[in-house]
Amino acid sequence: MISQEKIIHGLIAAIATLVLAFPLLGVKLVTDGISPHLENADTNTIVSILVASLAVFFVQVFKDHLSSAFSAIPRPDLLSKIPRPTTTSGRDKAEKIATMLLIAFALAWPFAASRGSVDLATLVLIYVMLGLGLNIVVGLAGLLDLGYVAFYAVGAYSYALLSDYYGLSFWVCLPIAGLLAAAFGFLLGFPVLRLRGDYLAIVTLGFGEIIRIMINNLTSLTGGPNGIGNIPKPTLPAIQTEPDLALVGLEFGKRAKTEGNIPFHEYFGIAYDGSYKVIFLYLLAVLLVVFTIYVIRRLVRMPVGRAWEALREDEIACRSLGLNRTAIKLSAFTMGASFAGFAGAFFAARQGFISPESFTFIESAIILAIVVLGGMGSQFGIILAAIAMTVLPEIAREFQEYRMLLFGVMMVFMMIWRPQGLLPAKRPQLEMTHD
Amino acid sequence: MVEASLYFIQQLLNGLTIGSTYALIAIGYTMVYGIIGMINFAHGEIYMIGMYVSFVAITGLMMAGITFLPVVLLLALAFSMFVSSTYGWAVERVAYRPLRGGNRLIPLISAIGMSIFLQNYVRLAQGSRDVAIPSLIEGNWSFGPADGFQATVSLMQVIIWISTVISMFALTQFIARSKTGKACRAVAEDLKMANLLGIDTNRVISVTFIIGAALAAVAGLLLGLYYGVANPFVGFIAGLKAFTAAVLGGIGSIPGAMLGGLLLGVTESMTGAYFSTEYKDVVSFGLLVLILLFRPTGLLGKPEVEKI
Amino acid sequence: MKKFSKKLLTISTSLAIAGTVSFAHADTIKIALAGPVTGAVAQYGDMQMIGAQMAIEKINAAGGVNGDTLEGIIYDDACDPKQAVAVANKIVNDGVKFVVGHLCSSSTQPASDIYEDEGILMVTAASTSPDITTRGYKMVFRTIGLDSHQGPTAGNYIADTIKPKNLAIIHDKQQYGEGIASAVKKTVESKGINVVMYEGVTAGDKDFSSLIAKMKKENVDFIYYGGYHPELGLILRQSAEQGLAAKFMGPEGVGNKDISTIAGAASEGLMVTLPPSFDLNPENKSLVDSFKAKNQDPSGAFVMTAYSAVQVIADGIKLTKGTDTNAIQQALRSNSFSTPTGSLEFDEKGDLKSFDFVIYEWHSDGTKTALK
Repeated sequence: MISQEKIIHGLIAAIATLVLAFPLLGVKLVTDGISPHLENADTNTIVSILVASLAVFFVQVFKDHLSSAFSAIPRPDLLSKIPRPTTTSGRDKAEKIATMLLIAFALAWPFAASRGSVDLATLVLIYVMLGLGLNIVVGLAGLLDLGYVAFYAVGAYSYALLSDYYGLSFWVCLPIAGLLAAAFGFLLGFPVLRLRGDYLAIVTLGFGEIIRIMINNLTSLTGGPNGIGNIPKPTLPAIQTEPDLALVGLEFGKRAKTEGNIPFHEYFGIAYDGSYKVIFLYLLAVLLVVFTIYVIRRLVRMPVGRAWEALREDEIACRSLGLNRTAIKLSAFTMGASFAGFAGAFFAARQGFISPESFTFIESAIILAIVVLGGMGSQFGIILAAIAMTVLPEIAREFQEYRMLLFGVMMVFMMIWRPQGLLPAKRPQLEMTHD
Repeated sequence: MVEASLYFIQQLLNGLTIGSTYALIAIGYTMVYGIIGMINFAHGEIYMIGMYVSFVAITGLMMAGITFLPVVLLLALAFSMFVSSTYGWAVERVAYRPLRGGNRLIPLISAIGMSIFLQNYVRLAQGSRDVAIPSLIEGNWSFGPADGFQATVSLMQVIIWISTVISMFALTQFIARSKTGKACRAVAEDLKMANLLGIDTNRVISVTFIIGAALAAVAGLLLGLYYGVANPFVGFIAGLKAFTAAVLGGIGSIPGAMLGGLLLGVTESMTGAYFSTEYKDVVSFGLLVLILLFRPTGLLGKPEVEKI
Repeated sequence: MKKFSKKLLTISTSLAIAGTVSFAHADTIKIALAGPVTGAVAQYGDMQMIGAQMAIEKINAAGGVNGDTLEGIIYDDACDPKQAVAVANKIVNDGVKFVVGHLCSSSTQPASDIYEDEGILMVTAASTSPDITTRGYKMVFRTIGLDSHQGPTAGNYIADTIKPKNLAIIHDKQQYGEGIASAVKKTVESKGINVVMYEGVTAGDKDFSSLIAKMKKENVDFIYYGGYHPELGLILRQSAEQGLAAKFMGPEGVGNKDISTIAGAASEGLMVTLPPSFDLNPENKSLVDSFKAKNQDPSGAFVMTAYSAVQVIADGIKLTKGTDTNAIQQALRSNSFSTPTGSLEFDEKGDLKSFDFVIYEWHSDGTKTALK
């Protein structure tokens, strides 16, 4: 039965749809020459607006019927699909095997895939690294950071500037970039960490913007809007036997750009192929991600990691247990920043060129979306979310100018579909058993 | 000496104009935050839509032969407020209501997605080129020596100040006196308790979004007339600034949003005047950090009491 | 949900298939059109796309290249350097050997590294940063003038003809705007002009009242603006409202009908350095008509340069009777090409040997007259 109330409800929704659509879709403001005028949209658009509002009406009226029909379709529950041995040692073992398999697959995959997808996968891995880093701050310590991109920028510019001014190699700069980003995290975090919740969010957002604008304004140091180009790609360390024994870097370009380096294909005596470079970068990214995952896993099991989560759950209880609130927050902030630094240095190497426009607020928002979509705290979830957030816009390429529109819709849709994230974090817990 | 003080006054007035509009947009952030504790990142887009709709309405009325300016502007304002409010209402229904009660980061991400969606929706519907309308309200007054620096105040600036003051006054009265306003305050105080006392909280939340969107539409019309230009990307920066203003004043507090907006506007203008335009955002954000360090809940925000 | 994932599957498989069969048709030559289709600068991307598409259409209608037809494929980089690299790798992957693009210099630069390595011929129709061609690359060409050409033209005109007492140079803190502004500054300072202000504004800002009051106080009588039309349009409009009596000048990024729409009467008398307006050249009459027949605007700054970019590639293929990009790049450097933007010759760096800029005076109805 359809009640009168429902019909009224449907009518309101349908009229609202018309109000939403007509002023923007139904007419187009054209300003050729000096005075603006309105043009009516073509019949197709008008018809589709009407059809849309009719559809809204029927969906509202038959909502219950529809939702009962939809509930027949099972919601995919990713968590339940993963086998879950009940004992802790069994779970650890299963996890270990799964991780090993995953890494093996990640290492073997690029040799079978196309160059474009390997490059895309590299981008995904950068976001995985960023997501994992931000996860320490947001997911584990529960501090909302909207300016995470600042540390990413610090890492990228550390490598670019150090290699530009001092000619340092990627391998020297990588740890320095991490350290510098951590130092920035420490310095910025120190004064602001006593702020709570959303006040912290806006201050971090402010810091993110300040750093970007400073980079843009300090033209003499950073190149300002011109950015920094010709950033060398990472090299593969190798041992040279001729003319004498030495450690050299292998470059993946056709010719070696830095004195003393040897092109990869010459060293191995194979034909030049541009995809070696892409695959090498990818493998490097895998390595960095594995390192990140490993370090964070250890940290979470250490007292400091436990303290992060305790702080997120109950700040007052934490303080009454004698934990130093500021030190805990600061350690999370600093650790998170250092991983952004690594990711930044790698990003600069992959791009070969960086400029401030790569480090805008929307980048922070996307990393945050990865963490939230991933399930806040779960590492595997973040990997899935990073894949979703990077690959979706690429798939949507087919839709040309509708690409970003769909991306926005997907973000909203995914939040409604799985508000707990793709894979909610499993909290370490102790279970009492009766013997 | 005269020149220096005229220059100062000119910059102060410029700052107050920008600040008033920040304040109008900031209200939307602050009210939503006060009631459901979420940062509605899509609010800047509502302001942008308000601007577009008022352009469409003004042009349409002009084309229909209605040229008496006060009538055109009032009708455009009413229409733009109506459409924007519908947007505000619909956004809440579609993207936020299903997420209520969960982790507060979820609606934040949904809001960012909504913001991306609305930006691109308007871009596809109206094109990414700037649309412009001619200056409708002309006229200004100049003060100062004829051969030296003259401070100028335009009629449009005066209209912006007056409209802001009227809107703020009306809103304050509404919140303080009307039944719905009282319900809003009750919900802001304690949502669960208000629910138990028989207040339709869903309705109150909808009303909040509608009021916020209507004020954003006022700002959209005023700034649309003042600058004469709109594009689908104006909402994002304006929204970010307004959000900063809301936090500066103490998020959740309506007079705070007003104060924060004005302070932010004047700071930007003064930085441009005595230092460099390049650093105005750095100085604004710097000021924000500084104020929050000494007053962790903003200028007029209520200090948070830690409940045990 | 099931339906949706099915659709996704269909899309991804069709994508995969499209990827593998790209070599199957030997009778089409693919040209990647890389630039922003989405994002804040999509309108400039449009200019490039319509120009290039038109060229492809015309060339195909005239019998193609050596009997093969050209096919333009659009790759959206949204003017985001990160996406530009992804797009470049995708182009390599798709086996495309010619690229028209990218648009923003900050996208062109990282993408060109990849094209150079992979032997893909790239012709940009819009990136004006000098840095792009100073790296000794073989595969990188452009059919537009450089910031470092345009700046001196404007600077010399200001110093020799206008001779302002107090000159202000404003820019939008972006690669293009600041690049030209600094070139202008260098030129005028070498000629002893007094630059009282050199300041950046934020692209996307709407309120310039503070800056204008400052210029009023400094008694600025001439302003050079390096940047695009949305900001300058607002500066013009607000200057008129605030009673700043000064003349303005800007680069081709502001020379766009929209500036009159934004600034209205205030755009009267604005000076603009522009490439000669190719769409007004009588020789291009029929081409302009074809654009108009498709309801497209041929007057956009990058429409004709993009047309030329495609034409140069097509002529290169014709000359070498093949698609070997290395042979083509040599042919491009040693021949001259007749295009809608004039007879083009490339130098060793890949830049045009000459690209003239003309100074126009802008009128409030969106038209312009040449000053020199």
